[in-house]
Amino acid sequence: MSNEDGPVKATQVKLVLLGEAAVGKSSLVMRFCSNDFNENTSPTIGAAFLTQKCRLENRIVKFEIWDTAGQERFHSLAPMYYRNAAAAVVVYDITKASSLEKAKAWVKELQRQANPNIVIALVGNKLDLVSDESGASVAPKSKPAAEEPANEAEESETDAEDDATPPPPATTAAAGDDSSDSLRQVSKEEADEYAKEAKLLFFEASAKTGANVSELFTEIAKNIPDETPTKPAAAQGQAGRRNGARQGADSGVDLGERQQGKKGGCC
Amino acid sequence: MSLPMHLRNYKEKSKDEQTRDFFNVPVWDAVPSPNEEPVTTKPRGVKDGSSSGGLQGMDINAVLSVEGKEEVYAGRLSLLPPFLCFISLDRRSCRCTLPLYTIRRVERLNSRAGVFALSLATWHGMRIILQLTSLLPTAEHFSILLRDALKSQLTSMKSLKPFLPSLYSEYLLTTSSSSAQQQNPDHLLLGTELGEKSGTAAGNDGEGDLRGPGGDGKGSYQRGLGETFGFPGDARKMRERSKMKLWKEYFMIHGRNFTLLRYPPFQRLLQVGLPSRLRGELWEVMSGSIYLRFANPQTYSLLLSNNKGKSSQSTDEIEKDLNRSLPEYKAYQTEEGLARLRRVLVAYSFRNPELGYCQALNIVVAGLLIYMSEDQAFWLLEVLCDRILPGYYSPSMEGTLLDQRVFEALVQRCLPMIKDHFASVDVQLSVASLPWFLSLYINSMPLIFAFRIVDCVLAMGVKVLFQIGLAVLKINGEALLEVTDDGMFISLMRDYFSTIGDSAHPNHPDPRVRAITNFQELLVVAFREFNIITDDTIQAERRRLRAIISDEIEKFSKRAAVRNLKKVGSFDKDEIGSIYDYYFTAVCSPDGGPANGGSGSSSPKFGDQFDQPRLQVDAQGRVETRIDLKTFRVFLSEIATWAREETVTTNAFIQRTERRLADHELIDRLFYSWDTQAQGTLSLQDVVIGLDRVMHAGLMESIEWFFNLHDKDKDGFLTKDEVIQLSESLLFVFRNEPGDIYLAAVSKFILNAYEFGDANSPHPISSPDGVPRGDQESASHVRERSDSTSGPHNLPYLNLATFRMVVLADELLEGFFGHDLAASFQLDKTVDEDYHQAHQKPEGILGGLMNLVVTNENKSRLNRLADGFGAALGKHAEWRKPSLAKTLPSSSSQLSELGTRESLLTPAQQEQRRNRSVSAASQASARSTSSSVGTPESRSLADVEAKYREEQDLVRQAQEAVMHRPNFAIDAIGDSDGEEEEEEGEGGRGADDAVMDEVEAFLKAHGDDDGGLKGEQKKQAEDLLKAEPMGGGVSANNKPGRPSGEGGLIDL
Repeated sequence: MSNEDGPVKATQVKLVLLGEAAVGKSSLVMRFCSNDFNENTSPTIGAAFLTQKCRLENRIVKFEIWDTAGQERFHSLAPMYYRNAAAAVVVYDITKASSLEKAKAWVKELQRQANPNIVIALVGNKLDLVSDESGASVAPKSKPAAEEPANEAEESETDAEDDATPPPPATTAAAGDDSSDSLRQVSKEEADEYAKEAKLLFFEASAKTGANVSELFTEIAKNIPDETPTKPAAAQGQAGRRNGARQGADSGVDLGERQQGKKGGCC
Repeated sequence: MSLPMHLRNYKEKSKDEQTRDFFNVPVWDAVPSPNEEPVTTKPRGVKDGSSSGGLQGMDINAVLSVEGKEEVYAGRLSLLPPFLCFISLDRRSCRCTLPLYTIRRVERLNSRAGVFALSLATWHGMRIILQLTSLLPTAEHFSILLRDALKSQLTSMKSLKPFLPSLYSEYLLTTSSSSAQQQNPDHLLLGTELGEKSGTAAGNDGEGDLRGPGGDGKGSYQRGLGETFGFPGDARKMRERSKMKLWKEYFMIHGRNFTLLRYPPFQRLLQVGLPSRLRGELWEVMSGSIYLRFANPQTYSLLLSNNKGKSSQSTDEIEKDLNRSLPEYKAYQTEEGLARLRRVLVAYSFRNPELGYCQALNIVVAGLLIYMSEDQAFWLLEVLCDRILPGYYSPSMEGTLLDQRVFEALVQRCLPMIKDHFASVDVQLSVASLPWFLSLYINSMPLIFAFRIVDCVLAMGVKVLFQIGLAVLKINGEALLEVTDDGMFISLMRDYFSTIGDSAHPNHPDPRVRAITNFQELLVVAFREFNIITDDTIQAERRRLRAIISDEIEKFSKRAAVRNLKKVGSFDKDEIGSIYDYYFTAVCSPDGGPANGGSGSSSPKFGDQFDQPRLQVDAQGRVETRIDLKTFRVFLSEIATWAREETVTTNAFIQRTERRLADHELIDRLFYSWDTQAQGTLSLQDVVIGLDRVMHAGLMESIEWFFNLHDKDKDGFLTKDEVIQLSESLLFVFRNEPGDIYLAAVSKFILNAYEFGDANSPHPISSPDGVPRGDQESASHVRERSDSTSGPHNLPYLNLATFRMVVLADELLEGFFGHDLAASFQLDKTVDEDYHQAHQKPEGILGGLMNLVVTNENKSRLNRLADGFGAALGKHAEWRKPSLAKTLPSSSSQLSELGTRESLLTPAQQEQRRNRSVSAASQASARSTSSSVGTPESRSLADVEAKYREEQDLVRQAQEAVMHRPNFAIDAIGDSDGEEEEEEGEGGRGADDAVMDEVEAFLKAHGDDDGGLKGEQKKQAEDLLKAEPMGGGVSANNKPGRPSGEGGLIDL
């Protein structure tokens, strides 16, 4: 990591990770930061604090990451961490339908309580647990940790509120065709639909394989307005964000063709 | 959704509880008598601390000295059965908490006249002399209480012997054959050469190697993981050996474990860090958790065996965190270490299901288990969660939030520059300080130092956390003023803690100064500069800030709860907010408790039911509060006018409204119809959906849901019985409406229902003759008739369409279903305000007086009194507030029109009515009603005036009476005794004070550092050591009740 890139000063970005317990928030951060951070992170009490730089074409973004505790009772402490945050990563587990509900609640809360210009990314983690689809370069490393598949199928059905009927092959319900795929409880389409609606960046990622992790943070970095100190007028910022969000959402849809700014990749 | 009811029901601790806390004495409930069945789930709802199993406690001034020790301390002796506690006047030099079951023998000493002295022989052979410096009768009273308390502990004493081998100190002292080389422990801080000396001497001690593994198989004491996997830190560097030696010496003179006295050297030994092997035991002794372990020998293993194989949300969460709990310590890389950690956390989550498991407990317990056995750690965990860090780990974490706020306030007070700077750059202290408090610094700094802080916290209480925190900030003050954001702050703190073992003055020429580490400096700053932070400071700040925190938590959980509702129907945000408020008010109300419905305060009641369905975990892992039928009644009574009985009483002085819950099947029906999942409880969401359906229903929907409410089998037909039930429901709603129009309407309804029901019946058998019945017949007649003619009553009979028709045929019922029913549910607070006004701040002549008398009991008494006056004056009136309030006329003159249907108000009038204060309306009708009770209106003026005077006199008398006796409720019984005693006590106290003054003057004159006594009094104490016990029966004649022969001697 060269940070002596002449006059280019790193933009500091406060980023907060939110999501239900055990969806893999800490693992995502570890994956993103592990290159220059010691492995031995402390367990999350309230929130763990880490930093990582991310290079774009024209600038460096320095993420100050607050990895919050997922346990429900720490919820009331979360405002302390998302206060003033420029970005938020809301994580759910694609093999657990209820975690998306929780993620939606977080998004709602952020949109109401946090900084109005906050860039929110919705991330479905544990992509490695479901078999490959949609061209993501994830090795089909299925770890069958299924516990109650029957129930889960049911749950996911009730939870799918969006009436965007997902195209049959890629989705969840049919537990028949592919054994590993049956672990998936949240279809990509469903989450994507929601992300578009709520104007969020959207990714499915795997902290385990690293798929989409750096892309995620790069995309967030791109969506952060350039100069740190400027606090643009709310309307302007709002618009900027919306654009960003739209773009992000689009990129989420056709994940197949990879991100443009990939060369700027972090780490 | 968290649990705001804790916060609402919070009660400040009583003085007695505070004293118990100070001495680490458990509340009586936590100490079951040995024959009791062991209770594994935590007893909840602390009883009055004073009810110490029927044994009385008492405080007395005393002077304490110990055989073999020079110092003598004046202080306060407290008998808190089953403990005897002492604290020196300066509150730090000398202190002890002696369980009475460790006292073998108590004797009154034969000494100079006027000195009342007791000699206590403890289990460990220590002899403690206590001079009771109060007046003789007081001292004698104390010794009687002490004797009674001692007697009650005989059974516990038997368990002491088998318990003691679990303690390392016993092993340490029994194995050491070598006699104590009398080293003066005060030399401790210069201990380098001492360490070397004892290093050679300790060779024959049996536990020579204190560094690594060892000691297995030797002794049966309970041990932590450290005995197997090695304790953190370098034993040689930490001078374990010399510390151990000093402790051993300390134990010989000052007692050990249960009988440990804290003398000044204790504090010094503590602050240099406890030796690893002794640490676990001293932790439980200092925190008092040892008393719980002693009193509940089976609980831990029972908890594990009873809950074997069970899983819960807590156990899942524990599982996830096991591998992140001090992973750097070797034991937690092994299955054994993890298994211990798992067992303790799981056992506690079942012990205290309400708390369950909170992240950070894994760190704390992982720390404890290095030095303690599972059983020891388990009880210490209980003491931590209950007493030392109250509310830190609870589901709403209110204690944590509160103490963070307290910490900020203290920083503001002590280090205003830092606080101001942080405010200007918008950095919150809590981002760094939260984990300090939650994990007792175990997670923040290297373990060996963190545990030394834990030592101090367990010995001196939570204030240490604040003192250390402040010292950290102070030491880093300059750098902190450069901080511009959270990230810098965190990094700075992290850097500081990672170098805390380094020299604080690395470049100093003097090697001794260079040897001072950052950590030592931290302790010095914490305990020297911030010793102004006392327990009282923290209590006061907590008291000040608690309301704010509770309010914030409530708002937060309300916001979250409201946000998390999936459906809100047609309610707006404010209405949802009101529903939430009513919902939780009901949960918190004393009547809202679960079914045990007895007396007692509210808190223990709902505690009992915590593991019942009232709290559930929803799909997203949130703890959800649900209400049962009983609580629902309370809730509904707040919202629906007909679900409560309101009695409005006016007498000459005040008007008041009394509310009671109404009880009718209709309410139950509503409950079960809203309980769509048939869980037997309702969530906030259920209630919102239910209310939405009821309150936003139009005429047709109202008719429909009311129909469905009574259609039990949901077949679309009401049976005849159900028709009757439905009518009864209507009558219930109308029960307090004035006039008989409603009754008439309902009778008509029944008639029509039967008539049309028969006509449309799908089961023609029900009406064989098919003859329509006459209108004139009364409802009861119809019932009889149909009884005899229509066959079984449980056959489908009336369908919705017919029901609708019948309802619409009646103007009154149409109006009722059209809007009155929906309008009888009121979310607006105006009603509530009226209620409060009438209830809490009654005005009028007696109103002010009323406010003086706060308790409900007194209030009702006073109310009765006032009613009495009112009745005497002929001004007493009582009536039930109508539920629909619609027929309340704007003036009493309209009362006469009630007989006609025309009295129905138009919607516009309805609006008017709503706006009009309800109390005004009721007053109007009060006037009318009371006139019927018979106030003679035609009295002459003079008459009235005379009456008024009389009235005022009475009021004045009443007022005086109340003012004279503020403790209005405590009456007659035992009162006179009390007074006498008080007098006696006062005399005693006067004398005591004099004695104490003398002692204080003495102390001042001698400028004693440690608060010990010197000179004559000390000599006196020394004399006492040699004094012979008094012969039997010396004081027997004083107290006739006492069996002679025993005298002042309590011989166990």
